Amino acid sequence: MTLSDLAGEMGRPVHFIDRPVSQQLILELLNCAVWAPNDGLREPWRFIFTDRRNGQELRGLQEPAPAYLLVVAKEEGDPHIQEEDFAAVCCLIQNFRLLAHEKGLGVRWTLHEWMYERSRTVTFGVGDNERLAAVLEIGYNAVHSEGEPAFTESPLPFELLGN
Amino acid sequence: MNVADLIMERRSIRKCTTRPVEQELVVELLRNALRLQPSLENGSWRAVYAGTPEASKELTDYIYVQMTESKLGKLIPGKLMDVFKKRFSDIPAHLVVMAAKGPDRPSSDRNYAAICGLMQSFQLLGWERGLGMLWDTDPFLYHEGFFQGIGLREDETFVGILHLGYYDKVPKSRRRTPAERKWTVLQGSVT
Ligand SMILES: Cc1cc2nc3c(=O)[nH]c(=O)nc-3n(C[C@H](O)[C@H](O)[C@H](O)COP(=O)(O)O)c2cc1C
Repeated sequence: MTLSDLAGEMGRPVHFIDRPVSQQLILELLNCAVWAPNDGLREPWRFIFTDRRNGQELRGLQEPAPAYLLVVAKEEGDPHIQEEDFAAVCCLIQNFRLLAHEKGLGVRWTLHEWMYERSRTVTFGVGDNERLAAVLEIGYNAVHSEGEPAFTESPLPFELLGN
Repeated sequence: MNVADLIMERRSIRKCTTRPVEQELVVELLRNALRLQPSLENGSWRAVYAGTPEASKELTDYIYVQMTESKLGKLIPGKLMDVFKKRFSDIPAHLVVMAAKGPDRPSSDRNYAAICGLMQSFQLLGWERGLGMLWDTDPFLYHEGFFQGIGLREDETFVGILHLGYYDKVPKSRRRTPAERKWTVLQGSVT
């Protein structure tokens, strides 16, 4: 499947079916996703995996999902470097989403209020010089029915310099 | 090309040819990238394009005006400054990307994150068509003269410039750390 083939499909809502997602598969996808661009090749990310059974602590914080990937970003250096690192982590997550979709997995990319509370993130092992950049809710996606609305085209905010 | 190969083979392009970049292609790639990012709302981002030699020169002037006037800039000989400028204005096209700020930090970050995702898809879609890019967030871009030139508003943040151009040679790739070395599994507390 090429990237352009995916374009029409990503607009559909994600509905998980009750089927476990293996760590091995997530690692396999991540080993490709780490080819994301990142300034200075700092690779400012790390991953915490848990599933529905073990992820009790996430109950009430996140929607139910067969698997969760907590994506942790480095939070070191000046604010500018931190911003670049956050951007790089987002490129990695984007790669992961695209790769997962190809495997029939749906990914919900979430960033909630609680992820900014140190007292909470520390319970998942997020360190002082780190931030929780996202929690990905992952599962096999239910085959969508024909009738679901396709993505509606919105105007492209594209302007020419000087106009 | 399949998605995995595309992701691994894409390289940042720092040296491009003089071949012009077609604006229609840029618009098409951006539109396709947006379709991969359905969570992005109308009005939450904006791209300003400089794809002609004149526009590229205009953008270069915005970037260097501050530097030329600064104390440090005054120490740089004019000829050398021209070399700096030329390296930049010789790049066939630039896409400046801006994000709208939200009412609070999580919503700003969510929007910023989705725009970064869009820019990554855009880079990949470009690579598929032989178009190279470099995402530039050099600290010397971050000044008033540049922000005014690109028309950045109060309620927006600058995300980056993507420099666009065709390339003759693909740079060597630099190894990534295997995900296994950055991997932790959370074992639930037994209840
Ligand atoms: C948010 C972000 C900012 C970047 N800023 C710069 C930059 O200012 N200058 C630069 O030369 N490269 C920049 N890069 C590109 C990285 O240097 C490049 O991705 C890295 O060297 C890995 O090379 P690759 O993209 O060819 O795999 C940036 C990348 C990202 C994601």
